[in-house]
Amino acid sequence: MARRRSAPAPRAGTAARRPPRPAASAARRRGSSGWTEAHVHRLFWRAGFGATAAEARAWAARGRAATIDWIVDGPPGGTKLHGPAPRVDGRKLDPVNEWGHDQLWWLDRMVRSNRPLVEKMTLFWHDHFATSEQDTPRMLAQNRLFRSHALGGFRPLLKQVTRDPAMQLFLSLADSTKEHPNENYARELMELFTLGRGYSERDVREAARALTGYRSKWTNKGFQGIRYEAEEHDDGVKRILGRRGRFGVDQVLDLVCDHPRHAPFLVTKLWQFFVAAPPSPATVRALAATYRRSGLQVKPVVRQILEHPALYRNLAAPDLVKAPVVYIAGALRTTGSAITDNWPVWLSSTMGQQLFQPPSVAGWDWGPRWMSSNAVRQRFVLGNYVVNYGRPRVRRGAYKASLRPDRAVAIAIAAVGSPPVSAAERAALTRLARHWFDDIPKSWRDKADWRAESLQRTLRHLLIAGPGAQLC
Amino acid sequence: MVAAVPAALAVVVVTVPSAPAAKRPAASTAVGVSQREFRLTPYRTRVPVGEVRFNVTNFGEDVHDLVVRDARGRVLARSAEVRSGGRLTLAVKLKRGRYRLSCDVANHAQLGMRAGFTVVKPRGGR
Repeated sequence: MARRRSAPAPRAGTAARRPPRPAASAARRRGSSGWTEAHVHRLFWRAGFGATAAEARAWAARGRAATIDWIVDGPPGGTKLHGPAPRVDGRKLDPVNEWGHDQLWWLDRMVRSNRPLVEKMTLFWHDHFATSEQDTPRMLAQNRLFRSHALGGFRPLLKQVTRDPAMQLFLSLADSTKEHPNENYARELMELFTLGRGYSERDVREAARALTGYRSKWTNKGFQGIRYEAEEHDDGVKRILGRRGRFGVDQVLDLVCDHPRHAPFLVTKLWQFFVAAPPSPATVRALAATYRRSGLQVKPVVRQILEHPALYRNLAAPDLVKAPVVYIAGALRTTGSAITDNWPVWLSSTMGQQLFQPPSVAGWDWGPRWMSSNAVRQRFVLGNYVVNYGRPRVRRGAYKASLRPDRAVAIAIAAVGSPPVSAAERAALTRLARHWFDDIPKSWRDKADWRAESLQRTLRHLLIAGPGAQLC
Repeated sequence: MVAAVPAALAVVVVTVPSAPAAKRPAASTAVGVSQREFRLTPYRTRVPVGEVRFNVTNFGEDVHDLVVRDARGRVLARSAEVRSGGRLTLAVKLKRGRYRLSCDVANHAQLGMRAGFTVVKPRGGR
């Protein structure tokens, strides 16, 4: 599983919608200790789905520590979704029964939540414990599980995931009995969920025995749940990872969590979720020490990653590719747009990421692999939707052909939420604006305001979907 | 890199996306239905009178279909076959009463691909 996430970039911000007031005399663009709006944009994209212009200004003024505290711990008052709930075809979402509404429901949380890091970590766990091809109600229940443990302890999360019906049915842990132990879950438990390597085939087989005993119950009303039946559990002696005993389910989960390879494995994967460049051995050691010292808590590790200088390296040249759902949710969030239709569902899918349907138990391939030729085309199509149906849509008659090119670009940047725009990008857009009317005779230009509107649409589209918008 | 973005690219920008989907009848109710070997599970088993849209997903490996019967066993609607991993919507107007859903491919119903379903008066009556 080549899963290096490389990626990208700064863009503007968004949606925790009500940013704090900047301190009275704080500088607008640069807060204390070199903490700038560019840092805020970087942090909000990596730890969430972008920052609005207001958030970038406010948090730059508040400083690094306050910003990271807010991202990691959340605002007082708990999780809230800001703004009106989405309606599609004039109706509220029905995530269980309408196709695609499960995805819209989650995307909407990414767009409107005041805890973007919790949604981002829910996405991390969805990829880490990738489960697919299961009934919608069970996938939504699993999603709630990931959200409730998003930044908590790994051990309790693993114990819950092991008992989660969607996972049990996906990896055939349900109905794995002492007579017929199924190795699927035991194998992925070691390879993908906790260790990566450092275990043997025998460890897998013996762990499968330790994990036996769960039975699924079905009636003519459908699935009724998973039950543990002690008589179906193999209570014999097993030898797993060098230890010998009559291990049961929780004991084998403790064995893998306490294995020396687990901490480096998980902290490396967390790092790769947030930072494109691979971690140094020293960084892995430091993160693993934090992880162990905290009793396998995820939050302190994530905090340490979000505080690491590597996350803020080269702010002008982002290098982490936005995953499709991050790109879509971020485009909506940072432009102040809402979900009003099904288009995010098919666009996300054609960009290569369908929520609740990862391609395999190994999850998605992150990083540059998101940028296939078709995916790039679809990312460009996204700009059409946001510009035509989102907040950045162009009002008729609002723009004059006489507008100066640099002013036209400034208006477009403000209209899409004031994302960070590099000098090269701004120059290219200004050049485009300068030549936009070249094919019209000068004597006609004072009547060419309609072309000023198409220029605005084009500039906004390029800001939302151009190369600079794909990285964070 | 952006400097290379030319006007030719910009022309695409002006393209307006497809029109919004047609509105559904006000009384239409969606019911997710999953199929696999050999289970058929409606995610909602009581719906109000009116059009019911069965949104079927075949999570299994075999081909399946969906058949709606009334309490007497008369077939009211039958879907086309749904391939493995496929989806399909079967819309049918239903009066108050009990109904049965099944997959009629081969002996799938006997193997367990059947479920009950009830249509009730909406709150406030109609």
